[in-house]
Amino acid sequence: MLECFSSLRGMDLWGISARVVLAVLCGGLIGIEREHKRRPAGFRTHILICLGAAMTTATGQYLYVVMRYPTDVARMGAQVIAGVSFIGAGAIIMTKRRRVRGLTTAAGLWVAAIVGLCCGAAFYEGALYATVLVLVAEVFFSRLEYRLLRNVREINVYVEYASPSCLTGIMEHCHTSGVKVVDAEITKKGGESNSACAIFTLQTRKGSDHGRILQEIARAEGVLLAEEV
Amino acid sequence: MEELEYLRELNTASVCLRLTLAVVFGGIIGMDREHKRRPAGFRTYMLVCLGAALTMVLSQYEELMLRTEWADAFDAVGVKTDVTRFGAQVINGIGFLGTGTILVTGQREVKGLTTAAGLWASACMGLAIGAGFYECMLLGFVAIFLSIRLFPCIEDLAMANSRNMNLYVEFVSLERMGEFISEIKARGIRIFDVEIERSMDHRHLQHSSAVFYLYLPKKQSHTQLVTSLSCCPDVYAIDEI
Repeated sequence: MLECFSSLRGMDLWGISARVVLAVLCGGLIGIEREHKRRPAGFRTHILICLGAAMTTATGQYLYVVMRYPTDVARMGAQVIAGVSFIGAGAIIMTKRRRVRGLTTAAGLWVAAIVGLCCGAAFYEGALYATVLVLVAEVFFSRLEYRLLRNVREINVYVEYASPSCLTGIMEHCHTSGVKVVDAEITKKGGESNSACAIFTLQTRKGSDHGRILQEIARAEGVLLAEEV
Repeated sequence: MEELEYLRELNTASVCLRLTLAVVFGGIIGMDREHKRRPAGFRTYMLVCLGAALTMVLSQYEELMLRTEWADAFDAVGVKTDVTRFGAQVINGIGFLGTGTILVTGQREVKGLTTAAGLWASACMGLAIGAGFYECMLLGFVAIFLSIRLFPCIEDLAMANSRNMNLYVEFVSLERMGEFISEIKARGIRIFDVEIERSMDHRHLQHSSAVFYLYLPKKQSHTQLVTSLSCCPDVYAIDEI
């Protein structure tokens, strides 16, 4: 372990201040990036979670190291790990299009809590390095994530059409152009314009252009609207 | 081999290595899920795996401190810390986080189970990484990666060739469901079971729905069957579940 932190690992005023300040700093750094992206859990949420977690491990250490109570130093902190995942699960929502949102927010909140535990335990190396890794994951890899999404093979297409017979036309069209229909969900009256609609899940060939497939479906007979969802 | 033994110990180098490995391996598993456009992407797996590894490293750190800096307190109190206490809660906590991804759709279909299971498995892998159990990390990673990458093909194949099929159908009026049933029977399809849900609320235009459990007479394309059945006049919505 690094020598330069050893004066701050004690349970004196300096040590406690270092733990609390670092918890606020790490939580704030993780939170400000989320806030920047306008996610529900922002700056203050992350600071509070991180700070609370830091206090549990610090209290555990105090009871053991200073007060000499026969307890396990890890017991209090361990409950934070399960407890914060409850809060995180509340951040997960399901949209009307049956997509799950907020999972990365929940995972980020959970990691902030564990970074807080490390701060409270005076494990500064782990807390700082993990914060750096989280920021790299959030800032750098989120760009990569959007690039990956553009290359996915599976797309969902929302189609509005005039007559039921044109569905078979779409299916045949997909079949000839090498696109596999994985799933089809058909509703006769729906959407805003009150016409019939369907959602197709298509598996395309590698490297094929999504826009072109959409155009081809939109051009098929009887199709009023084709959109990617 | 000497270097590996050094990295099994807790020191600054091994802490950095373990956390980096957790991000990399968690990311690779997440990348594959991302390709399929599942809700838990790349960063979710990365964060969960990193957090799990960090809990294990943290408890090892506390144990180390009890042996070195707080040795006098340990001598006086005599209670050891349990190095698995932090990690054990991860198993619980991520299980709970996973339930957030499981949803029952309005069509009585359960979705998101594989996402939850994958997230949980990668958290467990993170625990092994944090503990410095590098062999388990490699084997576990290969096994998780293969089952996520290869097994969908097997699952799809089994699904496409299956003669069992579940259909969710909404009807304009329940009284004329008989026509739909005779339409199914005309194709030689056997109906195992039907679950009907009558709509009580007429003002909100909620339709009565039914789930049919079918057995097809021969192997055939499920999507084609769904589209041809959707031509029935009283069917409002239809979907395979």
